Amino acid sequence: MAQVAETVIPSDRPSQRASSHRRTVTRFKWGVLGPFLLVMGAVLLPVLFVQLYFSFHSYTIYLGNWWEAEFAGVDIFRDVLTDPRFGWAIVRSLLFATGSTFGCFIIGFALALLMYRPFPGQAIYYIFFILPMLTVPIVIAYTGEMLLYQNGPINGIISSVVGYDVNTQWLTNANLALTTVMLMEIWNWTPFTFIVMMAGLASLPREPLEAAQVLGANRWRIFWEVQLPLLRPVILLALVLRFLEAMAEFPKTWSLFQGGPGSATETVPVYIFLTTWQYFDISRGAAMSYVVMVMMIFIVLGAIRILRREKRTLDRMYERGEEA
Amino acid sequence: MTKSRKHLAFNVFRYAVLTVWLAIVAFPLFWIVATSFKPDHEWFAWRPPVYWSETPTWDNYLNVWTTFASYADTQYVQSLQKPWIALRNSLVISLLATSLAVVSGAIIAYGVSRYRILSEGRMFQLLVLRMVPPIVIVAPLSLYYAALNLLDTITGLVLIYYITSIPYAVWMSKSFIDEVPLEVEQAAEVLGANRWRIIFEIVLPVVHSGLVATFLFILILTWSEYLLALILSKSEVVTLPVELSKYQGSSEGRVYGRQAALAVGITFPLIIIGLFIRKHLARGFSFGMVKR
Repeated sequence: MAQVAETVIPSDRPSQRASSHRRTVTRFKWGVLGPFLLVMGAVLLPVLFVQLYFSFHSYTIYLGNWWEAEFAGVDIFRDVLTDPRFGWAIVRSLLFATGSTFGCFIIGFALALLMYRPFPGQAIYYIFFILPMLTVPIVIAYTGEMLLYQNGPINGIISSVVGYDVNTQWLTNANLALTTVMLMEIWNWTPFTFIVMMAGLASLPREPLEAAQVLGANRWRIFWEVQLPLLRPVILLALVLRFLEAMAEFPKTWSLFQGGPGSATETVPVYIFLTTWQYFDISRGAAMSYVVMVMMIFIVLGAIRILRREKRTLDRMYERGEEA
Repeated sequence: MTKSRKHLAFNVFRYAVLTVWLAIVAFPLFWIVATSFKPDHEWFAWRPPVYWSETPTWDNYLNVWTTFASYADTQYVQSLQKPWIALRNSLVISLLATSLAVVSGAIIAYGVSRYRILSEGRMFQLLVLRMVPPIVIVAPLSLYYAALNLLDTITGLVLIYYITSIPYAVWMSKSFIDEVPLEVEQAAEVLGANRWRIIFEIVLPVVHSGLVATFLFILILTWSEYLLALILSKSEVVTLPVELSKYQGSSEGRVYGRQAALAVGITFPLIIIGLFIRKHLARGFSFGMVKR
């Protein structure tokens, strides 16, 4: 299993069979991809058209049939793009995603650095540390509420440690609410950066490290100048994937806060949800969705460029590792 | 001497830090289990909070999961709570969607691994399906589903979960298939076995442990999915996470004990599954890019 298969492309084989072979492969290709593309086309394509339709036609649930909605041109898009609340939702989402990504990363990486070499108890810690990511997000939200309400156990514990009454309003203070969700997101997903960094550290090639040690470099220099550069692909991968997931975070934010207090936790997914299912303004929701989708596709394409480059580096590293 | 002292200091530091994080990780999980065994009056106890009830009770579990008359009459029971139906829905939907995704994902992955039926660029484009937040399509999707009578049906949810799981299924199973040497297949091919037989009788059996890992990994994701399940179901195909969220809006106020009892039921299987495939989690979440 450990051997790396050489990827032999069939067209490299003796040429007399090549063209018939190519035809078989083409048939195989469409036989395999066909059903998937069909399902995807049947479900997603119409959805994109429906969305486009609503973005250009004024429709709320209170009007009659949606197919008779009035054409509104670019009015709805203009509305959405000049809506400060939408702008703030985007800012909040970016803040939330950046903050929780770095939180997860720093803690996960630190834990991985302390743990990647075997020591007594390693397996137990490892098992416990991955539990949060196996917990259903919605369960995390409710557990968070049980722990964090004003007269709840967390404040209780802090109070008994510091010796006076702590009344942090984790859930009702508008200045704190987004941080509260961020802390939950960090609790939830630090395991992801942790396991990825553990795997990254475990597969580091030995020679550069040993060479640096032989040359008498101290631990800091080895870390900054040898390990960190070698870990770059894994680090970027963890950051990119975590950031994208955090941009889409909905269950915890919604079930705890529904955007409140005020609009303190109104991230993009929450604001779109509110617009569509609480204000029933289907058109605005659709137009916002389009804006966000375009924005996210650009972000994702950027992310993919990074992932693609780093995956190549990683693959080369694994290949070298297997040869050695 | 100095070296061993340094080593000792490092060890103390290491265990201290790890234990602090262990407490942070374990406390919420402990709390939800503890709460699920607490009688009503201990749910909100404050200064000191009740860590572990001195009179633990199964009432919360019985109230949530059974309809015994004596429990069904208590003040917290609600007609809309149907955890067994939600459990069945969750099982059917996540098992169906996951199986479909893994089977077709593994076959696509085989094609990519051996015949490059998707270029590297296309493989990465596949990730867009997973990385663009689902919220951006969910409103038109629900209208479209309504038009097709797919709203609030198992088929509807299975279809969309299948699509969103495909990137993971293809990438993860490809990372396993890539590790299988070609010789066996070539031998079978020389003996005249056709491609489908090679796939189903040689390649997939060889990577079966990897496919099981892929399957369980995707099962975890579909099982805990919330947004799509919330919007694409109304009353018929409510899944467990959505069922759990119903306690929140309940008119009786917060019923932490019941919520905890249901939450334990939802999370426990996932933790078992997750620990079972813990060696493959990094690979799964990184789309097979990080290996161990």
